[in-house]
Amino acid sequence: MKALMSVGALVGVIGLLLLIGMVMGVIPSNTVRLVEGYMPMQMLFELALFVAGFAGLSYLLGSMGMGIPRFWQGILFWAFILLYLKYRVYPPIPFSVRAMYGTVSLIAVFMWMSSNEEDWKKFKQPILNVLDAQSGFNKVLRYVYLVLLPIIIGGFSYMSMKPTSEEPIELRTVHPAPPASTKVHGKSYVLQTAQNPYRVNTEGKYDQEYTNSLIVEQSMGRLMKPNANPWDPKAEGYLKYVREGGEIFFQNCHFCHGDNLNGRGLHAFAFNPIPANFTDPGTIAQLQETFIFWRVAKGGIGLPNEGFPWASVMPPWEQHLTTDEIWKVILFEYWHTGYYPRTWD
Amino acid sequence: MGSVTRKKIMSIMALGAMIGLLLLPILVSAPVLAGGGEAPTGAPPPDAAQAGGGEAEKKVEKGRDVYYKTEGIVVGAPAPKTTDSPKDYPRYNFESRVLLWFANQQHLYYGSFVLAVPIFCMIIEFMGVVSKDRAMGKKYDQLAYDFIKISLTAYSLTAILGGILIFTFLTLYPAFFGYLSSIFRPVMHIYALMFVAESGTLYIYYYGWDKMKEGFLKWIHLSMSVILNVIGTVLMFLANSWIGFMMSPAGVDEQGRYLGNIWHVIHTALWNPLNVHRILGNMAFGGGVVAAYAAYRFLSAKTDEERAHYDWMGYIAMAIGVAFLIPLPFAGYWLMREVYAYRQQMGITLMGGLLAWLFIIQATMIGILFLSSNYYLWQALGRMRGAEKYQKYIKYLVFILVCGFLIFITPHTMVMTPAELKAMGGQQHPVLGNYGVMSAKNGGINVIITTTVLSFIWYMRGNKVSTVSWAKFGNIFMGTFFFWAYVNIIWLAIYGYYIPANVRIGLSVPQVATTLSCLFFMTALNAVMMKGAKQTGPIEWGKISARSQYALIMLATAFTWMMGLMGYIRSSVRLFWHVNEIMRDNSPWAYTHTIGFAANMISFNVLFFWISILFVFWLGTLGVKKAPVEAKAPVPGRAPEPAIGH
Repeated sequence: MKALMSVGALVGVIGLLLLIGMVMGVIPSNTVRLVEGYMPMQMLFELALFVAGFAGLSYLLGSMGMGIPRFWQGILFWAFILLYLKYRVYPPIPFSVRAMYGTVSLIAVFMWMSSNEEDWKKFKQPILNVLDAQSGFNKVLRYVYLVLLPIIIGGFSYMSMKPTSEEPIELRTVHPAPPASTKVHGKSYVLQTAQNPYRVNTEGKYDQEYTNSLIVEQSMGRLMKPNANPWDPKAEGYLKYVREGGEIFFQNCHFCHGDNLNGRGLHAFAFNPIPANFTDPGTIAQLQETFIFWRVAKGGIGLPNEGFPWASVMPPWEQHLTTDEIWKVILFEYWHTGYYPRTWD
Repeated sequence: MGSVTRKKIMSIMALGAMIGLLLLPILVSAPVLAGGGEAPTGAPPPDAAQAGGGEAEKKVEKGRDVYYKTEGIVVGAPAPKTTDSPKDYPRYNFESRVLLWFANQQHLYYGSFVLAVPIFCMIIEFMGVVSKDRAMGKKYDQLAYDFIKISLTAYSLTAILGGILIFTFLTLYPAFFGYLSSIFRPVMHIYALMFVAESGTLYIYYYGWDKMKEGFLKWIHLSMSVILNVIGTVLMFLANSWIGFMMSPAGVDEQGRYLGNIWHVIHTALWNPLNVHRILGNMAFGGGVVAAYAAYRFLSAKTDEERAHYDWMGYIAMAIGVAFLIPLPFAGYWLMREVYAYRQQMGITLMGGLLAWLFIIQATMIGILFLSSNYYLWQALGRMRGAEKYQKYIKYLVFILVCGFLIFITPHTMVMTPAELKAMGGQQHPVLGNYGVMSAKNGGINVIITTTVLSFIWYMRGNKVSTVSWAKFGNIFMGTFFFWAYVNIIWLAIYGYYIPANVRIGLSVPQVATTLSCLFFMTALNAVMMKGAKQTGPIEWGKISARSQYALIMLATAFTWMMGLMGYIRSSVRLFWHVNEIMRDNSPWAYTHTIGFAANMISFNVLFFWISILFVFWLGTLGVKKAPVEAKAPVPGRAPEPAIGH
């Protein structure tokens, strides 16, 4: 048990030192890199390691008679979480989300500290000591709090009431709600049932399974599948249309959506918000092809009020592209990102 | 002896009368249902049609069902095209929609409560009847009686609020209400008759309690509770058909003209998921309210005896509530899936668009519910000697729970300043973007539920040590089962990103199956292992921290708040339609409120409900007579067994 806890403690100390180093700027923040694509699990795994590490550390210190009081354990752990979220995760997490995470962590610390009577007593003790103030030190502390608390509360009130020149926060809908059907170039498309006419097999028949099987492997290098190369001049059916879609994409879309379809094109940062990142699992991977068709055709300008609040300056591409071209571009976008469009089973 | 026989006959007659009452509306409406509606008002009788020849036949107008796509003879008038005028939207100098919102919500709260509590009573009364321990059986019986007593006052309030609701509809939205009642005309009277049946049954059930407390008569009494609940459920199903029709109309053509098939109107795309979701929701809510009542009485108790009683009552109510809370998210997923299947626009408005942030708040509330339940169970370990061995591991459970919770509440549409947006380099975040979508959230909630199951099992074995010969093997098996359950749930959540969306949605099935396997198999295995187990100490009812009772109050408040929130979301997803895509709302309030306004309104409704239900509880205490001697038996040293799973 002790050996196990020692290993835990070691991990905890190393992790803590690394984090402190990163916060202080002594250790470069990419010393232990957050690997793109694995970040969500990596973050959870790191936190789990820290918890195990702290448990080990607390156990060892306790067995050496230098145990950290419960009260400080709780406070320090919460502070750790806040610092971790602020300094470890890159790109930075917006404050609104950090505030949610911080509140939940605070509740978690409370649940942990008060889960049994003994711990709860230990946790409360320093607070009660100050409130009772039997010793001189506690009396001083009590007076300090007496003065400080109103100042802090007043300070918060002042800061929140004070007019600022900061930009207001904004809430933007990621996916505006689509209508039941849309009319493009005089033809109506029912969004729930329409299909991309270019998802065809080599015989030219609509074949979702076939095209799905030829989507590039979705993994970290986004490798092309053998025998599924759209740039091959002999490519037929679906692959041929992917190539044609690619050509249209690079003639029209990549200036904003980027060569890698990650929303970081040449002109991307002239816009706020920047264009959609198709490689993110939260964008086209969540949607039907017909939704993308509607979005591309109508652009940001042609969206209905029901979709509010949205913000997009994408032009209505139906004014520049034919229906077929729009379908082909969409085919290319799914092929390139390695995602499958949502379908109804 | 003779009087017993008479009682028997009378009780059987009463039961027969109830069944008759239950069937009466069906018999009354049989011709309507069988005929698929009344004869079309505008159409001439068949012989007249024959006499009139082809010209009369042409007058029989046919329409196409908007949902079922079947053809039917047009019977009703088209949905009125309203204008913003006092004729269609009369008003006080106040927002009519808010008044209706309030009346509807309060009626719904009380309605849910009075539908849930009789189901509780049925379960608890049944537990009392089958309990081998007679003292225990009496306790259960008394508890069920206490519950029904509370629901009696609440029942009158429900009816009063229902009346207020109808008046509000009639005075503020006459055109819309007129249209809705014209569509549901064939079943409106069934609804009214059901109400009569419900009242009659409830009163006989309540007042017959003492007269039918032994043997055969008790079973008759128990059967009455079954009938009471069947009536209540049918009532709710009918009410659900109205909201189902408003969201996903069927049985009418594009102009909203009734096509003569009432079953189509009732059985809309969302009716069944709504029914299931509401039954479970009502039960969880009812459990929460009763648990809060018990917590309040516990905290204000003067004697140990009282504390012990209300601790026990709170535990049972909480256990029943949580038992129904666990399947609730799955029913919710089903409902959402049907919403998406019915109209993608509604689905996206709900979960990805305008109302998406309300779902984040909902996720937060669900998380609070599970956190509170877990916290209560951990606190409850404190009233068992020998449970200390589990307490030191609680922090790991907290960690797992909270990780699931954090993922569950991560927003996809984030609130941020343009500066933060720039710093993040776009709307998408490499961590939050992944947490913000369904695949991760499914994993999150299943982890939370599985952990709750684990807490429950710990609680159940708190003061026991298994004596079966295979105890060690059993424990290892259980540990391994839970470990692989977590691995499977998390793995499927990650794998979900690498497959087509429709397959990903299908993954929720094995995830749910894993969670439910933990619930059913492990609870059963635990029960087998703990059969005849050595007790390390009794459950000392009443010896639980005050914190636990606040957790119960938190649980109840969260239930109430969430019901208000979800009702608002469900209703506002229609945006500017009274009846989706059929009847447009042309009042000045046909816009969606801001999140802040909605949150304030929901909070006001919650506050009002709790203040009024406190009044109901207070009324409940007014009529309390001194407890009979038998019920005054000291709280047994070998305290009552917890209800669930034992």
